[in-house]
Amino acid sequence: MKEKAEIKRKFCGNCGNHNAYNYPDQVFCTKRFSENKDPIVQTLWCCEDWNPSSQECYCIEEAMKKRNSK
Amino acid sequence: MQRKDFLIEPVKHIRINGKLTVDQLIQQFKNSGSFGAGRLSTACEIYEKMVRDDECTIFLALAGAVVPAGLRSLVADLIRERLIDVVVSTGANMVHDAIEALGGHHYIGHWAVDDHILYKYHIYRIYDVFVPEEDFTKLDYNLKMMYDEIAAENIGKSLSSNQFAWELGKRLKDPNSILRAAYEVQVPIFLPAVRDSEFGFAYWLHAWKKAPEETLLVDAFKDLPELVEICKDSPKNGMIVLGGGVPRNTVQSAALASKKGMDYAIVITMDRAETGGLSGSTLEETVSWGKVKGKADKVMVIGDTMIVFPIIVASALERLGEDYKRLPYMKRKYLKQLEAYK
Repeated sequence: MKEKAEIKRKFCGNCGNHNAYNYPDQVFCTKRFSENKDPIVQTLWCCEDWNPSSQECYCIEEAMKKRNSK
Repeated sequence: MQRKDFLIEPVKHIRINGKLTVDQLIQQFKNSGSFGAGRLSTACEIYEKMVRDDECTIFLALAGAVVPAGLRSLVADLIRERLIDVVVSTGANMVHDAIEALGGHHYIGHWAVDDHILYKYHIYRIYDVFVPEEDFTKLDYNLKMMYDEIAAENIGKSLSSNQFAWELGKRLKDPNSILRAAYEVQVPIFLPAVRDSEFGFAYWLHAWKKAPEETLLVDAFKDLPELVEICKDSPKNGMIVLGGGVPRNTVQSAALASKKGMDYAIVITMDRAETGGLSGSTLEETVSWGKVKGKADKVMVIGDTMIVFPIIVASALERLGEDYKRLPYMKRKYLKQLEAYK
């Protein structure tokens, strides 16, 4: 339950600007890329420009599983 | 024609034993002479003839997802062995070549899979081949940096798609790469629809916030004089078409524009002629345009490129023998002409 609730929080991995990079740990942020910032960010990170992804993916779920298994 | 003229050569039935080589099997197909077996054996003979013809320049037109499916090394080897002289490809095939050159992979998958689950795992499907999204992301990121570098080195100049492909090949270090092989042995590699691929989207990443004069310029019209000159200068021309589409049309149009017409033609496709589309058009139809000579050695093999093309190459290599070396007719002349266009 805790994992499900966390998935609904704002993360880079459920933001509309993300693409897979080092799945599931890191994503490529097109917004940061367009601003000449380092576009490689942690899947479970988040910034103030977050916007919801139109379709859900497994990035957060998988990144959390991996984090919790450590 | 008399009745006896139709009844000259009886079908010889195919005999198979456990020791057959690829070319021996093709000889059995030739004995049958029928249907796909007959066409495939004819294609093997035509390719052997093209290679042995000292005056022939061999064009390979690449369409369909043959590189992600596993023909990458075969094409690179043919380039290095000088068994093809000019490549005309979709942008997408070279995108997949670059993906592997940068450490990415294509994976054996399955066509019957839940595509929404693939979507959620960031995996793309090409029939039964899977590609991880991150390999595309990494490609885009790398291409953006390569474009920045190429643009900075070519301020005020536009590149033909061939020059663009060689610039990429120069920056890819993987010896199994088609782009790398073409750059190293200076085999022309044209990408007439380069914009319609990840190369096009990478351009958008590269050019987004740049002044127009700082961006990479690839001029597809520049390909034409290069291509037509190759055809024109070569005493004979041959084409091997995998699929069809823009690459087939580009090669055939060069043959038409140079008023030469192809002397040899092999087309491997599963498309049909009835829609009027070029990919399925018969070689007889192509003759009507002057793109292939009426008396050309030509055959269309209806089949899966992934099966047919490796068999043709294996059969031809067996016939040519291990020690066979080919020196392309156009090699020296073409390089001089290319210098003139720069």
